[in-house]
Amino acid sequence: MLEAWYCAPGEVGPGVFVPLLEAPKLALPIDMVKVSAGFPSPAADYEDNRLDINDYLIRNPVSTFFFPVEGDSMQGAEIFDGDILVVDKSIRPQHGHIVVAFIDGLRLVKRLYRQAGRVALVAENPNYPTLDIQEGMELVVWGVVVGKFKRLTA
Amino acid sequence: MPVFALVDCNNFYASCEKLFDPKLRDRPVVVLSNNDGCVVARSAEAKALGIPMGAPWFKLKEEARRYGVVAFSSNYALYADMSNRVVEVLSAFSPSIEVYSIDESFLDLSGFERQGYEACGAEIRQRVGDWLGLAVCVGIAPTKTLAKLANHVAKKALAGRAGVCDLTTMRKEDLTQLFARIEVGEVWGVGRKIAGRLNEMGIRTVRQLRDADADTLRAKFSVVLERTVRELRGLSCLEIEELVPDRQQIMASRSFGTLVYELPDLEEAVASHIARAAEKLRAQASLAGAVQVYIRTNIFKPEVPQYQRAITVPLREATADTRVLTGWALRILRDIFRPGYGYHKAGVMLANIVPEENRQFTLLGGCEDVKTALLMKALDGINERYGRGTLRLAAEGVDKAWQMRRGNLSPGYTTSWNGLAKVRAI
Repeated sequence: MLEAWYCAPGEVGPGVFVPLLEAPKLALPIDMVKVSAGFPSPAADYEDNRLDINDYLIRNPVSTFFFPVEGDSMQGAEIFDGDILVVDKSIRPQHGHIVVAFIDGLRLVKRLYRQAGRVALVAENPNYPTLDIQEGMELVVWGVVVGKFKRLTA
Repeated sequence: MPVFALVDCNNFYASCEKLFDPKLRDRPVVVLSNNDGCVVARSAEAKALGIPMGAPWFKLKEEARRYGVVAFSSNYALYADMSNRVVEVLSAFSPSIEVYSIDESFLDLSGFERQGYEACGAEIRQRVGDWLGLAVCVGIAPTKTLAKLANHVAKKALAGRAGVCDLTTMRKEDLTQLFARIEVGEVWGVGRKIAGRLNEMGIRTVRQLRDADADTLRAKFSVVLERTVRELRGLSCLEIEELVPDRQQIMASRSFGTLVYELPDLEEAVASHIARAAEKLRAQASLAGAVQVYIRTNIFKPEVPQYQRAITVPLREATADTRVLTGWALRILRDIFRPGYGYHKAGVMLANIVPEENRQFTLLGGCEDVKTALLMKALDGINERYGRGTLRLAAEGVDKAWQMRRGNLSPGYTTSWNGLAKVRAI
């Protein structure tokens, strides 16, 4: 019960107790201490930040989102099933960009065709038809695909 | 003259849900509170259906489903990430920013005069929309209270176009006219209670409050309301509060999905609350000097036996060690637990928080402190990398039968590798 392991009940206030001091342990932290001695490293002046893959793939982190791919319609653009796309929403989508697009309740990855009054979503695989955007269809070009990555082992 | 902007995300939680799910386009969406209790956010379509804020979901459910309403449990991880992104975008517009809530920030726009405040507001709106796909409204004015009011004007499009409202360039007569059309309850800091009392005094509109006698209001209400009146007149009394002080108390609590009767279930709940609270504690590089545990039955069901109890224990030595904190918390819990009650909520609080560097070493602490620090660092590192709860004390349990009800939780679209939204290459 409480009283067994708290001492001086009521010392701090009603309903508040001070715990007993536990038996202290005494040991020396030998393996925790790093001792440095001798001359400084000759490489110290050449230290540089290690490469970070984020810097390579991502220019604007705040507007960057990831989307995994399901399907093979973009293999001509080297986008394969299971790849994770890097999508930057701050880039204004233009004709020729590979984009993530929302249409008819679907999230798609396609190449954006937008020229001479024609708007279409184009696959990069001859087995898939081009999707022409007609009057009345609601297309949201969600963001521009700027890269992709995939981890091969677990 | 100082100039403030209040930037507020429209229907924030519902907008975050819509952002990643193309099936939700044009659908009414609501987001529910903990345990799927009440409506805490509504999309424009849900508002148009007349679904009130705070409505208990179980009462609405049947009818709402017929109208095609989609209800989500609160996906805090998603909202927090999107909120941080919004703040990051806003930081580019002002060196001085106050994150007022998860979906509202004050910006100090003093110095943007040349560009024009309204143009600046329009640019903020455009950029958050382009970069994050979220709609915001911007209210601009010489005081924070007026900026908040301007935001309301922008949202409801009471003056000019929707989205941005700049009160700094409005003529005095136009301001007066505008304020005469807005109810006093819309003013920041005037709650329903105060609004009711003001109404009794004949003060019904913002204009009437602005022109009321400040001394009388201070005598009848408080200096806070007097300050509000001064701010409505354009005299800035409140500044941007940039620094978020480290929290002096860290709470973690949850209502249970179903009532809990057994001590082991409560123990698991308390242990995982401690784990979360201790993680936050370490994230702000602090130590806790006291632990509180409380449990209570459902106070909204007076017909069943009621019991509640809380005990705080000051620690001899401040710590951030999950194991030590869990040990104390469980001892407290076992002491306050009474069998035979259906418990509805359990919570913990870490208090007497001090920065790590102020730690007062006990005389013979020795290397245990270093070992503990390394162990906790490893614990947090693993959980950050592989998801919260990957590595935990056995006391936290495995099944977590007591866990909060979150019936329709959307995935962590931006916060979990497993939650990413798939795009189809078809």
